Amino acid sequence: MRRIVITGMGGICALGHNAPDIWQAMSEGRSGIGPIQRLDRNWLRNDVIAAQISDFEPRAYIDEARLALCDPLSQYALVAAGEAIRQSGLDFRHERASRTAVVIGVGAAGEETREALYHKLYVEHATRFHPLGIVRIMSNAPASQISMAHGITGPTFSVSSACASSNHAFAQAAMMIRAGMVDAAVAGGSEACVTVGVVRAWDAMRVLAPDTCRPFSINRRGLVLGEGSAMFVLETLESAQARGATILAELAGIGMSADAGDIAAPSETGAAAAMQAALQDAGMQPDAFDYINAHGTGTAANDSTETRAIHRVFGDHARQLAVSSTKPMHGHALGAAGALEMIAAIGALRHGIVPPTLNYLGPDPVCDLDYVPHEARAMPVRAALNNSFAFGGLNAVVAVRQAP
Amino acid sequence: MSDVQQEIFDIVSKQAKIDINTVKSESTLKDLGVASLDAIEVIFDIEEHFNINLPNEDVDFESGTVGHLVAAVERQIALKPANG
Repeated sequence: MRRIVITGMGGICALGHNAPDIWQAMSEGRSGIGPIQRLDRNWLRNDVIAAQISDFEPRAYIDEARLALCDPLSQYALVAAGEAIRQSGLDFRHERASRTAVVIGVGAAGEETREALYHKLYVEHATRFHPLGIVRIMSNAPASQISMAHGITGPTFSVSSACASSNHAFAQAAMMIRAGMVDAAVAGGSEACVTVGVVRAWDAMRVLAPDTCRPFSINRRGLVLGEGSAMFVLETLESAQARGATILAELAGIGMSADAGDIAAPSETGAAAAMQAALQDAGMQPDAFDYINAHGTGTAANDSTETRAIHRVFGDHARQLAVSSTKPMHGHALGAAGALEMIAAIGALRHGIVPPTLNYLGPDPVCDLDYVPHEARAMPVRAALNNSFAFGGLNAVVAVRQAP
Repeated sequence: MSDVQQEIFDIVSKQAKIDINTVKSESTLKDLGVASLDAIEVIFDIEEHFNINLPNEDVDFESGTVGHLVAAVERQIALKPANG
């Protein structure tokens, strides 16, 4: 089987506008959560918070002609993909263009554009609709914009599985590379979901924390939404070595499952099945892993369920693992979550630093693992799991290990 | 039984698809088989019915009883004129 390595990484979120800045913030335990900016607060509860991108000037990254076609969903994706591709050193001239895939996880779509248009229609009773609405809103827009901006002509599409979208995207890209259909892929996720309508819809489910996000902690009260994008260049080990590229990590295994249970409540067996499948796919034993970047949303149900699932898969080794959730830093970026968290997993592998779980108030008896509270920990990380478990009972887990 | 209690029992029994006589003040929504999103929907139906907002603090899906819910709704209704 062809081995897959990661040779480029890019990102943008509340922690920074590039992957090194994001990793720096993660390793220092900084949070990007704060009061909601940029939205009309008259439409929101007073205490609503989010991890929003600030001081972002898209014109510094995207030319005017393309920018007119892009919701923030695609803007973030272009920024992250540009950084990842530059770092990889790949260019897409000649045959490489058609031998490269673009697979992007998107949970929602171009929500800012959609809401602005619907506001005009339903509230302002506008008689004309902006003609670029569709191309900005469509959930495949980030994949299309990346392919257009970089001249990539291989299989290009978006993957949508709510909060597991990015990890499902990694899985699709990896499978195409393994199958020999392509030799490289740009894979990751993007989400621009901090809009009035999306925030209100999440609030109505009573899962948004009023104080902050405290995964695995006693008195945790829910999740905090975030936004952003992270993108990675995946290619065969052979191709990376032939080019002399710097290998950031190996994508060792992927595991996917569906709970086939409740549309919202998480399932221990479903989550465990996806983790187990990732270990099996990687051909690795539980004790080969040192770190899990948990889904860790900060809801009562997710964190206890995920803890039980980790016990089920890792047995005695579960207590040796460092398990942290970086969502108190970058928020829950839904379809981009797994990709942003891949920056944390790769950082842990490369730098021997496990990012912390912030805002931890103390142990909850049903969350009894080592969650690396408050401060990052220096420790060797040979391999890591990146967990994503979506509403709808869709689970996707990616195993990464140190560069060969 | 107060009108508020009667109406809440009615909403709960409809969502749980059970006879209204099996709903007791001391039952939790979980006891009645109303869990996860169904429970959140019950709260929404109650909010819509009485035109009130129930804060998250008043909604405990694990151990809160229907009686607690009735008390929380009565509190919000009492607050209503003050809120305009």
